[in-house]
Amino acid sequence: MGPSSTDTALRLTALTKTFGRKLVVDHIDLEVPRGSFFGLVGPNGAGKTTSLSMAVGLLRPDGGRAEIFGLDVWADPARAKKLIGVLPDGLSMPERLTGRELLRFTGLLRGMDLEEVERRAGELLEVLELDRAERTLVMEYSTGMRKKIGLATALLHAPRLLVLDEPLEAVDPVSAATIKLILQRFVHGGGSVVFSSHVMAVVEQVCDHVAVIASGRVVASGPLGSVRAGRSLEERFVSLVGGQIPEVGELVWLSS
Amino acid sequence: MAVLLIQMKLAVLRHSMTGRRAAQMVTGALTGLALAGGLIVLAARDYPLASLPFDLVGVGFALWTAGWLLGPALFGGGDETLRPEHFSLLSFTPRRLAAGLAGAAFVGVAPLVTLVAFCALVVLAAKAGLGAAATAVGVAAVVLQLVVCVLASRLVTAVLGQVMRSKAGAALAALVSAAILAGLHSSWVLSPLVQAALRTGFPDPFSAWVVALPSGWGLVAVRAAGQGQWPTVAAALAGLAALGVVCWYGWAALLKRRLTTRRASGRPVRVAAGGWAKGPMTAVAARELRTWSRDLLRFHYLVFALCYALAFCLLPLAIDAPIFLPWTGVVFALWVAAISANLYGEDGTELWGKMMVPGAARHDVRGRQLAWLLVAAPPTLVLTVAMVVFAGESGLWPWLAALVPALLGGGAGVTVLVSVLRPVPMTDPHRRGGNLLENGTDFAQVLLVLILTAATAAPAYFAVRLGPVWAGPVMGLVGGAAMAWLLGRLAATRLESSAPELLLHLRTGVSPNRRRPAPALAAPALDRGRPHLPRPDLGLDELGLDLAPTGRRAYVIASLTLCWVPLVAQGIVPALMLTTGQVTRSWFLALHLPQHLRWPTIIAMIALGLVLLTTGLGAGLYYLAKSRRDSIEPDGGP
Repeated sequence: MGPSSTDTALRLTALTKTFGRKLVVDHIDLEVPRGSFFGLVGPNGAGKTTSLSMAVGLLRPDGGRAEIFGLDVWADPARAKKLIGVLPDGLSMPERLTGRELLRFTGLLRGMDLEEVERRAGELLEVLELDRAERTLVMEYSTGMRKKIGLATALLHAPRLLVLDEPLEAVDPVSAATIKLILQRFVHGGGSVVFSSHVMAVVEQVCDHVAVIASGRVVASGPLGSVRAGRSLEERFVSLVGGQIPEVGELVWLSS
Repeated sequence: MAVLLIQMKLAVLRHSMTGRRAAQMVTGALTGLALAGGLIVLAARDYPLASLPFDLVGVGFALWTAGWLLGPALFGGGDETLRPEHFSLLSFTPRRLAAGLAGAAFVGVAPLVTLVAFCALVVLAAKAGLGAAATAVGVAAVVLQLVVCVLASRLVTAVLGQVMRSKAGAALAALVSAAILAGLHSSWVLSPLVQAALRTGFPDPFSAWVVALPSGWGLVAVRAAGQGQWPTVAAALAGLAALGVVCWYGWAALLKRRLTTRRASGRPVRVAAGGWAKGPMTAVAARELRTWSRDLLRFHYLVFALCYALAFCLLPLAIDAPIFLPWTGVVFALWVAAISANLYGEDGTELWGKMMVPGAARHDVRGRQLAWLLVAAPPTLVLTVAMVVFAGESGLWPWLAALVPALLGGGAGVTVLVSVLRPVPMTDPHRRGGNLLENGTDFAQVLLVLILTAATAAPAYFAVRLGPVWAGPVMGLVGGAAMAWLLGRLAATRLESSAPELLLHLRTGVSPNRRRPAPALAAPALDRGRPHLPRPDLGLDELGLDLAPTGRRAYVIASLTLCWVPLVAQGIVPALMLTTGQVTRSWFLALHLPQHLRWPTIIAMIALGLVLLTTGLGAGLYYLAKSRRDSIEPDGGP
């Protein structure tokens, strides 16, 4: 099966992961249509990061399948990984390189031609406004810059699917706007994006499909409109994950 | 406040007493108590000269105090159970915080063991018959010496922590620790002097130095009390107390600095052209070379290797023994290997980036090997050639021409293989504080790599020993290249097959080998949908040892590895020598003993070897059978 013969960019089937005695991801099934901007929402600890790590080949599942354009990530990693660009949350990068060095060495490691790598790296740094920090090491970057250089690394080899874990977490509004714009362009150009977040407003703003994960299971999935069912995503989310605003005690001693 | 902090520390210690930590603590406590016992025995023995016990205990105290001062720098960290940062937002003055933390610093195994050791002073006073007053002074001096030790240790560690934030400081710290380690390892040089001193007493300047150091002031007080010189007693005790206060003040000042200043953000880096990196492997090598020059930790290690090699090989010149001089390059190569065998651990979770690039494992391993050679080989060659010329030992060239390429090749192989097989997880580089001391050196790993790398040179060694003159260099080159290629290939294969497990290990700090099987309740449901995932090859799984508790597993591995030493090397081989009459003493313990002890020693060694072998094998087979049984049962985990 080649990448062109399927309409599904990412398909997870009964994906499962247990850490110690805790079932973190419980038989997740998920289908991300080709060309969609797909939001994955859920409370902290719902299993979003674990699911995405297993989906892209960074964490070995205990059971289930992960397919990218029909290619099994764990059985045929070489072909599947060519098609994806990944931005994980909270993991390290080659910290003692400048942004341009990072892109150059990553491109070369992927077997790309040096000239082509330099050209793409230059464009990416310019678009992401990182070209002003040419002599700064990645380890000195701010949070927003880290996310941007991570995105540049994920885009460098022109993947067909982007898998991004919390790409806008702790990012300033200006950088966030840049990142959103680039992702939207990527989708218009025929790419697919999977994007995890726990900020409903962002998902509502940019995504056309959404899945809600709670306690390691998918509780709702589909086009944004059908998941929302006429309400705001936040209201729908709270009702789906069974939460309610807790009674807050008086804390009398706080008022002076 | 000190009481509160002590309670906090005890609570933290209680919660962190998991299997491995507890084992470490017990081992540390037992080793410390054995040393403390040794010091007390030293104080209680009879000597031909009255001054000898004082000098020996003085040396003991000096070494013990030096251990407190430099231990944290050598072994990493120091006691950071309660970090001052946790209290930085509370309204304490730094001095009050230092007082509280100082109180908590006296809680722990190390201060307790030190207290026991320092009791040697009281034993000495009683044994020398200096009278009840001197013994009482001894008790007071023991307490004061302990206070000085703990507080001075805090101060020195804090100073080093501040200094090691810059490249110059990292180099300086490397120089100091290399000089100390090399000095300790060269202490055999002193053994004829010490033996002479034990007969005729230490030279006077030496005795004067021993009591002039603060570690000897307690000794001064006890001795003076015995002679009724009370002003001296008061001066010595007051000196100790004052020193404690000075250390505490200094530490408080540094605490303030630590809590109120941030790590200076990095200066702009020099961007090298790196035009030679055109393919995947050279790109990795170029990247790795940048890490060597930009990472303070790697720089520190590299300077350490260089200083150690120089100090270790030059020190014997003090007694006109140039024997190590030509081997400086070889010692350097061994140490560079030993300090660069945690390549993946040091890079942290960055591994994910390589996992996303198809086929990157092989390029990554080979690139790192190339970079290691580029870093290690030129200084090794220069040191070797320069020192051979300097020492005029040109007769050694067949040895060096064989061993240098063999060790460089072996090092290039062993470092990557150990990096993959036995990573020591560290905090991710961007989350590390500026303080190098926070990342302790894993001495087990250093030792392992030293031994393995030295072992890779064995074929070259035997080729020189047994073969014609050309055989050594040829064997060195061929063997070195083969080792680099073969071990690199093993590392790449392993990295390819088990990168997800390695990443999880680096992320969580828990080795996948030690994970318990998943609970049985989830297993039947999992089985149906489970595909045949490629499983990495974990050696312990096959042996069934993944099910064994940590202590049991360590025992099985250690006993099966070590039983051959007493059984064959110290038992059967010397027995054969004695029966055939062809005796070469070498390192066979029994053959160095008096006639009537030889056979009993050999029998005891063989018995010890057999006990280790049978118990290790027994436990190993038990867990192997257990794991086979579990994997047959339908609900027996993954």
